[in-house]
Amino acid sequence: MAKVKVRTFSVIRDVLGADLVEIEVGAPETVGGLFSALVQRYGERFKNLIWDSDTGQMDPFLLVLNGAMIRSTVDMDRKITDGDEIAIIFPVGGG
Amino acid sequence: MTSSFKYGGYIGQVLRVNLSNGKIRKEPLREDWARDFVGGVGLAARILYEELAPKIDPLGPENKLVFMTGPLNGTMIPAASRAAVCAKSPYTGSFFHSIFGGFFGPELKFAGYDGVIIEGKAKRPAYLWIDDDKVEIRDASHLWGKDPFKTQEILRKEVGDEEVHIATIGLAGEEKAPYAMILLDIRAAGRGGMGAVMGSKNLKAVVVRGTGGVSVPNMLRVYNTSVRLNELISTSPAVQGLSQYGTPRNVAAMNAGGILPTRNWQTEVYNGMKNITGEAMREKVVKGDRACFACSINCTKYSVVPSGKYKSVINGADYETIYGFGSICEVDNIEVLCKADELCDHYGIDLISTAMCIAWAMECYENGIFTREDTGGIDLKFGNADGMLEMIEKIGKREGLGALLAKGTREASRIVGKGSHRFAIQNKGVEWPGHTCRPFPAAAVGYATGPRGGSHHDIRPTMEKSGAVDRKVLEGKGALAAEVNHWLILCDSMLVCHLGEPIWGPGKISQNTINALNAVTGWELDYAGARKVAERQWNMIRCFAAREGFTRADDQLPPRFMEEPIPEGPMKGSYIPKEVLERLKDDYYTYRGWDLKTGNPTKEKLTELGLDFTIKDIC
Repeated sequence: MAKVKVRTFSVIRDVLGADLVEIEVGAPETVGGLFSALVQRYGERFKNLIWDSDTGQMDPFLLVLNGAMIRSTVDMDRKITDGDEIAIIFPVGGG
Repeated sequence: MTSSFKYGGYIGQVLRVNLSNGKIRKEPLREDWARDFVGGVGLAARILYEELAPKIDPLGPENKLVFMTGPLNGTMIPAASRAAVCAKSPYTGSFFHSIFGGFFGPELKFAGYDGVIIEGKAKRPAYLWIDDDKVEIRDASHLWGKDPFKTQEILRKEVGDEEVHIATIGLAGEEKAPYAMILLDIRAAGRGGMGAVMGSKNLKAVVVRGTGGVSVPNMLRVYNTSVRLNELISTSPAVQGLSQYGTPRNVAAMNAGGILPTRNWQTEVYNGMKNITGEAMREKVVKGDRACFACSINCTKYSVVPSGKYKSVINGADYETIYGFGSICEVDNIEVLCKADELCDHYGIDLISTAMCIAWAMECYENGIFTREDTGGIDLKFGNADGMLEMIEKIGKREGLGALLAKGTREASRIVGKGSHRFAIQNKGVEWPGHTCRPFPAAAVGYATGPRGGSHHDIRPTMEKSGAVDRKVLEGKGALAAEVNHWLILCDSMLVCHLGEPIWGPGKISQNTINALNAVTGWELDYAGARKVAERQWNMIRCFAAREGFTRADDQLPPRFMEEPIPEGPMKGSYIPKEVLERLKDDYYTYRGWDLKTGNPTKEKLTELGLDFTIKDIC
């Protein structure tokens, strides 16, 4: 079991209720496992912000894991450990 | 309204107004040009290539200002309310398009016109009053010197109709300041000095009222397409959040990702970010939300600072305000940013260029190039909020250092010298928006080769910024940039909003885009057909630039992006060295079928795209 901190922004933060939340991730202790744990805790409201309900696929986005940039498209199997901090950087354009 | 035009969505008529001789003509829209260039930017580029001689003075009466709509404007298709204003730009010296949302475009179609071509120069200040088929050039002497909002207020009373939609310039446009904008009701056509071109014609405003409609070949098909698009808008993860926070929803995330441009791009992490996020803005100043015609995204925020020295009322702030006056000038007070936004509207100046010019001056001041004497006594250091606001006023009035800054960073740094060009974050004269390319090679080559230089609407970094493609790989990035160009230019000819990026793109023209175009026009374009139209449009604009003398050498990035890696944060170390940019340009030109030496389209490519008429000019 890894206890990690998750930093989110905008409407994802609104669902999680705070800029930074702590969550326990059971097996597998991976980035993908973290997202399963988040869906379990926050349900459809969270899922709808990450997964495209039309395609059923997770929209691609970047994450910052302990200060290093990683990608949702290739790094879901990356291991996470107790005390890690991960930020979800969802892609959004400017006006 | 029924239209005899061959294709749905079009009115089939263009208004031509000559301000020099007062002649007003209604001309049929060419069907072949509609089919080949769609509308909006594509069509305006074709018209201006035909009608403007090369090398004309952009601020002379021989330049033309074109307001152009697209076939989707005025239909129920969501996020399709935009319109384009195009001309040869005094800022870049080539074709420029500035796109704006709101209601002006649909209203122009309801009045019975796909576009308005404005020629010549009025002898005295004038405004154009388009009231369905009744069109008049009216005296605007009493409006000259008034700010855009006051002008709109007077005009609504004068024509006796609160429902009109109005394009107007401010003081900067009247004075032909290079980055003067046009304000359209509450929306801005900010970039490229379109306001200066309008001012050069002594044209203070265009007032439009229309009571007609737009006909489509199959109403049920358009309805079903609209329903589907609205579903996508409401469920797309990347579009959600715009209703709540507007475009500033991304401030905090970009900062966490190490891509929030800060301190005139010296870094891309801003410690004062927390006070100027979309969330902070919503909590502190936002009082309501506003949408453009038939749009379900609802991105515009209505913000009020009710009292105090930053008292202001704005429609915003948008992300670019927060980037430009916030992180770039290191001002972390949302009320100050609202005031800065309001001042730019008041003077009618492009907010991005204004902010970037001030940031350039701040860096010059930091490096001793400017002294307190030069700044008129302002301690113009980064973070000086009141100094920044004072400098906006000086730019608006072209007083003291403001007169220099009103010329833009390219010209100002040329005049000042002393290495100040290194602080000028511009390409083709246009200052950079708040979207980095240092970690993103496709975005870098897109910005460098884009017709408008520092414009995030000729390229989007989204595919690399999302990780959908590997940002560290160079191979294939020329192709990616070209295909992103294509969805953007096709949307700018249909005049749908780029904020629907996940729906219209994001890596290439999407089927949603093609479906919307086909539903309204009655065409049955497939992907290859739509792509060819977009490629033709892109090459058309490139030909315009080539005819003006632009070459490969003009496809550049600011020195900072090629020489200074991002110094901190998750993207630390990222930059695009000169040799990498040249390699990317080779890749991009090769993919496009352009000449590697000149950067111009080849004869074969032009023939393939049906642009043979340009061959004599550029090959």
